Amino acid sequence: MRFLVQPSPAVIDRARPPVRAFLAFSALLLVGWAASRAAHGALTPEGLARILEPSPGERLGPLALWEEVHQGAFLYGFLLLTVGSLLVVCPVTARLRNALVGLATAAALVDLLAPFLPVAWPGFPGWAELRIGAFAVAMATLLAAVAVTWATFGREARRTHG
Amino acid sequence: MVDPRVARFSAPIAAFSAMVALVMTTGAVLFARKIGFDGGHVKAFYLGSEATFAPPRSLAGLLEVAVPHLLAVPLLLFVTLHLVAFAFGARRRPFALLAGITWGCAAVGIGAGFLIRFAWPGLAPLKVAAFVGLQATMLAWLLLLAAAVLPPARGESRSGDLTGSGAAPPRAARY
Repeated sequence: MRFLVQPSPAVIDRARPPVRAFLAFSALLLVGWAASRAAHGALTPEGLARILEPSPGERLGPLALWEEVHQGAFLYGFLLLTVGSLLVVCPVTARLRNALVGLATAAALVDLLAPFLPVAWPGFPGWAELRIGAFAVAMATLLAAVAVTWATFGREARRTHG
Repeated sequence: MVDPRVARFSAPIAAFSAMVALVMTTGAVLFARKIGFDGGHVKAFYLGSEATFAPPRSLAGLLEVAVPHLLAVPLLLFVTLHLVAFAFGARRRPFALLAGITWGCAAVGIGAGFLIRFAWPGLAPLKVAAFVGLQATMLAWLLLLAAAVLPPARGESRSGDLTGSGAAPPRAARY
């Protein structure tokens, strides 16, 4: 955390290689997450309905839904915190930084919470499409944030130190 | 008094706090639905029940749940407590007390299942107490984090029992 709150050029320059390696793994995690959902059929409305739609009388929805949100929120939380914090010390505008973190957070929340719509209102139309769309936006935004951080982290520090 | 350097990190900290709140909420629902909040249900979950044809938990089954939690829970606590300490320059004693309760509840919560199954089923209420303690203290930490990133009302300073005085320098580095 110290190199984030006291970002001297020399410290940022030293931090660059491990930060870039971490970002590469973050990108792999995002791609793997999308592939995992695709493999489980969770990127089609029919597949999502099969996995997560509540059975008649299942007042709180299936356990699988709660477990998925439990794990998904953990992953999103750490990705948003780490990538968002690294973006703070990158030479990008506050508007771009806040747009990326804000959009990714909003999309992540919709992705996680959309399957509760048919739990609260049985037969709610379009929840699966909403979830798939939100997941796509969350993945795209997080990948963009990772790419921007990878490309710009320490850029000014390197320039300053020749 | 909130460390002014936190302001730049408000967006990622707010996103992290929202997601941790979701993790804790879903954790509570999963605990209620799978295990239950009274000693009898906890014993039945770990030791099995003839009435519901539930078999006792195997060591492999307990480890399957415990091992990911042994990574995820300490990581979550470490980062959350680190952020609170950094944001507020927390006073050593109240911070350490609440942090100790949180870490203790987390450790007991993860270990109690093994003890109930293989040592003494009478520890079932301890599992519930540890879970409730962890949820309650995490709620306190999340409220502190929210206070750190929310804009203060006009004329109000951000301070509380856990925080240092306005005159004292931030002491987050001690933690």
